[in-house]
Amino acid sequence: MFEDSKVAFFLAKRSIARGNKGTLYLTILIIGMVFVNLIFLPSIISGVAVLFNQQTIDYSYGNLVIEPKKNQVYINNADELQRKIERIPGVTGVSPRYLTGATIVYKGNEVTPLLYAINPDDDRRVLKIASKVASGEYLGDGDTDQIVIGFRLAGNDDEKLDVIPSLGGVDVGKVVDVTFNNGVTRQYRIKGIINSDSYDVDSNAFITKNEYESVFGLEDKANQMLVRTQETGNEDMMRNTLMAFGVQEKIWTWEEKSANFLNQIIGSFNIINFIGTIVSLVIAIVVIFIVIFINTVYRRKQIGILKAIGIDRSVIIKSYLFQALFIFAIGTIIGCGFLVLILQLLAANPIVFPGGPVAPVVDAMLILRSTMSLLAVSLIAGYIPAWITTREDILTAIRG
Amino acid sequence: MIIGSDLRRYYGLGAVQVRALDGVSLEIQKGEFIGVMGPSGSGKSTLLHLLGLLDRPTSGSLLIDGVDVGVLDERARTVFRLRRLGYVFQDYALVPELTAQENVYLPSMARGMTPQECTLVCSDILGVVGLGDRIHHLPSQMSGGEQQRVAIARALVNRPALLLADEPCANLDTRNSKVILDLFRKLNHDLHQTIVMVSHEEWHKSYFDRIISMKDGVIETETNGNRDSDSMGNPSG
Ligand SMILES: Nc1ncnc2c1ncn2[C@@H]1O[C@H](COP(=O)(O)OP(=O)(O)OP(=O)(O)O)[C@@H](O)[C@H]1O
Ligand SMILES: [Mg+2]
Repeated sequence: MFEDSKVAFFLAKRSIARGNKGTLYLTILIIGMVFVNLIFLPSIISGVAVLFNQQTIDYSYGNLVIEPKKNQVYINNADELQRKIERIPGVTGVSPRYLTGATIVYKGNEVTPLLYAINPDDDRRVLKIASKVASGEYLGDGDTDQIVIGFRLAGNDDEKLDVIPSLGGVDVGKVVDVTFNNGVTRQYRIKGIINSDSYDVDSNAFITKNEYESVFGLEDKANQMLVRTQETGNEDMMRNTLMAFGVQEKIWTWEEKSANFLNQIIGSFNIINFIGTIVSLVIAIVVIFIVIFINTVYRRKQIGILKAIGIDRSVIIKSYLFQALFIFAIGTIIGCGFLVLILQLLAANPIVFPGGPVAPVVDAMLILRSTMSLLAVSLIAGYIPAWITTREDILTAIRG
Repeated sequence: MIIGSDLRRYYGLGAVQVRALDGVSLEIQKGEFIGVMGPSGSGKSTLLHLLGLLDRPTSGSLLIDGVDVGVLDERARTVFRLRRLGYVFQDYALVPELTAQENVYLPSMARGMTPQECTLVCSDILGVVGLGDRIHHLPSQMSGGEQQRVAIARALVNRPALLLADEPCANLDTRNSKVILDLFRKLNHDLHQTIVMVSHEEWHKSYFDRIISMKDGVIETETNGNRDSDSMGNPSG
């Protein structure tokens, strides 16, 4: 067994050293490229997922979202609940808010965005919207006749530049009419315009919770309560902690709240990625197969001679497996080199997605998976042609 | 040492059937140097292929070194070739990617010798065939005579019970042919190497102990060679 491998290794070594170098280098290069292809796209997709997840936490939901009990519109005794949750270890911020549809009119432009009603100080402890004010200022706790809107909603003078129905390029300081869904209409001065890279935030509008309550005649209630925790990733545990502390309202994690949206995006990406992976592996199989096959056919007579002098067929097959392994190993190393180069280039010039720059995520699992699949593919693509060619009868092979 | 009985090898079926060997029985003793002669197409190569386990007879049985080789499976036949047989082809059949030394090294390595042993027996045998200085050349960088000597060294490296050679001198001029034949004679004499060699040339007869003449797939005659065995052993001769 070991002797066999020694002989096979010897034959492979000589074959590589004295065979056609051009073909060898080209094959290795192709395998290197396939390796890059196997890693690169998935790493970008993971990077996008990480980015979107962070966006969802920072601009839409925090870590946990508390919603009214079954069959109720509001969370009652919101203040008390908020104080209670704020005291739970691991919680760094709690922000109660109302959500409603509203119609905003400015100079004949009419839009119907979502209107969030927040306590600005609480909001700052949970979301990062306040840090993304493009012009003007964010809301303060005492504001009543002020509104903050996203830059997409504010829009442009030139309507063609708008992505959504907009207010036609309204500026900070201008006054807009807001009609709530209870029929009340009030005038608000634009205090700030947000540009956060979060589609949700940039398309909607914000007023204070106090103002909302005065319009609707509510007190001490909320539609949602966002909770920020010290760490991201242990939401399920924190939910249990909240329940243990007596929170009876429904508790969602940010993942559950954003599941559909994110899964759709990642799902489509994964289909693209899957196709890319299959295509790469097929290319690898075909290339190695062809190279080994041509190699063996070209050495038909030599294989016949080897068998004639008493070298076992399995040894000859093994020598081609060693050659395939060599191509795989060097190809993978070269691929790693390329990858490092590409990642460094990307670190210097990041790809910017809506939501910010994407940092490719290359984890050990991904590398292991790609390496293993490429290894399997190389072995299969080396074995089959060697098996086929060595099957030939000795005398036929020697006659050439 | 070798007992073949009623060996037949037919190619094809029905009307186009070719009877390359049509009932050959033979016995070869250890240490004999046998010449197989006969016109083209008479079945010489076919017989040698059977003796070399490169082909299987259509019928008949073959004992080599006391082993009924007909019952061996493909793997066992390969091992048998490696350990007990040496085969020299007309066109040398060296592995072009290996140097002379590596070509000879290969069978001993496959046999499981340590690198030291391999190197030792290789340089030994390459010395015997007279290729001391060109051992690091590739076959493409050597003359036909040199290549054939490498091939003989390769065939001998595992000390085979039987050395088979199918027209080993057909591609060589008279001078080189003589070198090869003298080498065979020396191996036969010094090492008691059993040799079966196919040849066309009349003048080769003087080297053989016994000549098997073939025609149309059967042995026509068996004669003793012209060889004067005493002259080899006699220092004054
Ligand atoms: N693979 C094959 N298929 C069909 N017929 C074959 C095959 N190999 C050999 N033969 C036939 O068998 C007969 C004997 O062939 P063989 O090669 O043994 O002759 P030979 O005595 O070695 O001739 P030469 O001196 O020309 O080498 C020939 O008629 C040949 O045509
Ligand atoms: Mg012949």
